[in-house]
Amino acid sequence: MKFRTLLIVMCLALVPFQAFSQDDKPEPGVFMKDPGAELWRQVRQRDMEGVGISQVRGVDSGVLINARGDQWARFRMTQLSTYGGFAIAGIFAIVILFYVVRGRVPIEGGLSGRMVKRFTDYERVVHWTLAIVFLFLALTGLILLLGRPVLLPLFGKEVFSLMASASKEGHNLFGPLFLVSLIMMLISFARRNIYEKGDLTWLLRGGGLIGEGHASGGFFNMGEKTWYWMVILIGLVISVSGLILVSPSLGQGRVIMELSHIVHTIGALILMTVSVGHMYLGSIGSEGSLEGMKTGYVDINWADAHHDRWGKVCHEQDLIISAEEYARLQGQKPGAGEMETAEQSK
Amino acid sequence: MARMKFFCDAERCIECNACVTACKNEHEVPWGVNRRRVVTIKDGEQGERSLSVACMHCSDAPCATVCPVDCFYTTGDGIVLHDKDICIGCGYCFYACPFGAPQFPEDAAFASRGKMDKCTFCAGGPEDDHTSDEYKKYGRNRLSEGKLPLCAEMCSTKALLAGDADVVADIYRKRIINRGASAFNWGVNDLNLGG
Repeated sequence: MKFRTLLIVMCLALVPFQAFSQDDKPEPGVFMKDPGAELWRQVRQRDMEGVGISQVRGVDSGVLINARGDQWARFRMTQLSTYGGFAIAGIFAIVILFYVVRGRVPIEGGLSGRMVKRFTDYERVVHWTLAIVFLFLALTGLILLLGRPVLLPLFGKEVFSLMASASKEGHNLFGPLFLVSLIMMLISFARRNIYEKGDLTWLLRGGGLIGEGHASGGFFNMGEKTWYWMVILIGLVISVSGLILVSPSLGQGRVIMELSHIVHTIGALILMTVSVGHMYLGSIGSEGSLEGMKTGYVDINWADAHHDRWGKVCHEQDLIISAEEYARLQGQKPGAGEMETAEQSK
Repeated sequence: MARMKFFCDAERCIECNACVTACKNEHEVPWGVNRRRVVTIKDGEQGERSLSVACMHCSDAPCATVCPVDCFYTTGDGIVLHDKDICIGCGYCFYACPFGAPQFPEDAAFASRGKMDKCTFCAGGPEDDHTSDEYKKYGRNRLSEGKLPLCAEMCSTKALLAGDADVVADIYRKRIINRGASAFNWGVNDLNLGG
């Protein structure tokens, strides 16, 4: 029945089409364009061709009406800020709900006290530099995106203007630092984040959410690797679009900047949303995870539980140090303890 | 209350750029900032037309919609103004504006944007009328003296009209009647005869 109706509709659609193609022959007589209509078609850039010229020198100064601006404004106001706000609020709600339901995932067999080195000092500096710059840029960016509906009614125009101004200047100033630390991150962590055999199993197990026990993982598990490549790739996109936006005198037109703004914001919102999950799993979500980035050492039981393939290598190569040795290293080595305070004072 | 509007008659504008110069001089706008500009379409071809364009003082202004700090306001005369003490120089109004009206002086550091500057319809800003503060930030406040914007007042061909929308529309309507509204009488050179 449905098929027959469809057939009839399709036949009907063909009839006027044929009629048009027959009428398409040039009509005899005088064909006149309305000069007024032609002028305004050019002014409105209906066919996006031939901009005017102006004695006022500047990018786009010959464009009388830029219709893309309205599309950008509508997208930013109705979709970008609305859904962006819901995404940020939503991920916090999900993480809190997850914590309430699942609680902190403990290490099976508890802490052994015997430690194994996971990250060098340099690697931790790279991680925390990127993390701090990212958090600063996320906060200042969110103030600019969502400040008017959320913060302005609370603080009033004068105070909020100061906050937004500081956010804009800070965002512009520290933005390029994100690219620098991103490249450092790319260089120092890329090799260990290449996908390998066993990562698909981790994905099929939902990272341990499906089935009993932990999903098998190497030095980094599949989720961490995916997060890493997300940070690198989306981070590069954000950096490039950000550099286009931060230097308005390079000669790029409005349309380029409108597109850059949209790409920049969507990319940043994706990273921000996923980063909340990353921060949760690296701190209160899972016992013993934060130690690795805090001191550089993790408990061998934690390594066996979360990164069993790496843990096995540690056992085989005898990389485990005793609790006493660990305490001695922590006390004696100036790196570990001071690093923390240095990060905090930043 | 009046509803203030600009109107540029494309059949009269001769691209003399006097409106641009008058505006720059009257308000002493900074280097690199042009509140008004004249754009010529089909320059040197048949059907060449010029239009003078500045802030059009939209009823539903896109700049005001996107401003992250809400620094725009519309006066009782329908003029869209902004508060430079609130503006943070983000450039969003510049992206949103169809006419390219918002202008940004280059700030010192890394050539980033300073506070936005645009046509005020010669109506100053939120500061008290005729104060030096107002003049420095927004230029001359002619409207409060009972004068219309200088660009339109001194237009030699009276192509650029400024004032109450009803009056401006009336003037233009009379011109159209005099010219003959038909496309056949309106710029015979433009007609593309033959087929």
